[in-house]
Amino acid sequence: MRNIMFLGMLFLTFGANAQEVKMNASEISSFKNQIKEVSEKTKTITSDFIQYKHLDFLTEDIKTSGKMTFKAPNWVKWEYTKPYQYSVIFKDNVLLINDGGTKSDVKISSSKLFKQLNKLIINSVTGDMFDEEQFDILYSKTENYNKVILTSKDKNFAKFIKTFELHFNKKTGAVIEVKMIEPSEDFTKIIFSNRVDNSTLSDAIFTN
Amino acid sequence: MRYLLISFFFLGLGSCSLKTTKDLLGVDLSKSIVKNPYFSDIKKDYVYKAKIEVYGNNFGGILIVKKQSEGIHRVVFTTEFGNKLFDFLYEEDNFTVNYIVKELDKKMIVNTFQKDFKLLISEQQNVVNQYQSKNFEVYKTANLNRNNFYFYNKKSATLDKIVSTSKRKEKVIILFDNSKDNNANLIVINHKNINLNIELVKFKK
Repeated sequence: MRNIMFLGMLFLTFGANAQEVKMNASEISSFKNQIKEVSEKTKTITSDFIQYKHLDFLTEDIKTSGKMTFKAPNWVKWEYTKPYQYSVIFKDNVLLINDGGTKSDVKISSSKLFKQLNKLIINSVTGDMFDEEQFDILYSKTENYNKVILTSKDKNFAKFIKTFELHFNKKTGAVIEVKMIEPSEDFTKIIFSNRVDNSTLSDAIFTN
Repeated sequence: MRYLLISFFFLGLGSCSLKTTKDLLGVDLSKSIVKNPYFSDIKKDYVYKAKIEVYGNNFGGILIVKKQSEGIHRVVFTTEFGNKLFDFLYEEDNFTVNYIVKELDKKMIVNTFQKDFKLLISEQQNVVNQYQSKNFEVYKTANLNRNNFYFYNKKSATLDKIVSTSKRKEKVIILFDNSKDNNANLIVINHKNINLNIELVKFKK
């Protein structure tokens, strides 16, 4: 009986390995170079996104969707259009919010937590977030995408978000999925689609 | 002069009495329990876009309510990005904060939200008095130091309003609007003693 269980576990482990493999040192270095190159030449991005919020006690994940716009070096606009209208512009040290017509500005310098979160959201758009001082980082690959898992070293931040998981298109180096996992294992998953790089975007898009 | 003083005295008294029951007529009890049906279905996920206005500041998020089993509710508030700001557990008369972000972890904030959402999700209360107006059947319930008035619309038979009061003053009013099949599509929680207003709009499928 014990042998059967052992065999079963062995197969399970192999099964998992077949899907996802750790990158070796040279793969990590060429992957990092790819992301660095991509984020350097990316001046603007527009992309659709679908967001799934998973809470273990809910029957269904909560689905929202909209459009993300990025302009280098660090302006980002998240615009939710379904099921409600809400947009937030990350611009320098201010958030410009339009909540269904109610506009407000929030200075983010007052909260370290939100400052960190904002920085991560901005960086996750280009994928350039491999800060080893801030995170323990694991690099792996599957048949379809490259995967990076970032675990926060900051204990306070880790209470809020334990790990970030990013999936990258192998060929283009574009971020295709971002997953923020809480200590409770509840998570938010954002999937990007219809991404267009380096189209001309007016600054007026980033005003409230 | 004396009459004037006496009239002022009565005027004063008048303004001290509870506004909620002013135009209501007391009637005999027709039931002993009043129900709030809006968060009572175990099979449903109740998800709302929330807009909160507190002393002129606006912030938003997503409010999620789930009845997990008889007498047990979870109330979770997240940012639009889904990051949890608080996670409350209500078990009968017990209340547990499963999680709250450091920035909101202040006694007054927790107490206010805890009471608001308790009032919002409480499914049934014992009726102590009953009233009537042209449009409403009104059931009064008594808690520790608060009275709650449940306004049932005579025509639609929906719960349209809960008013929570002290002996003399209205403290919190919850309005349920556009209700159908025990779903409240718009909920407004309006505080009378502090400058706090919460608007909840149900997610459309």
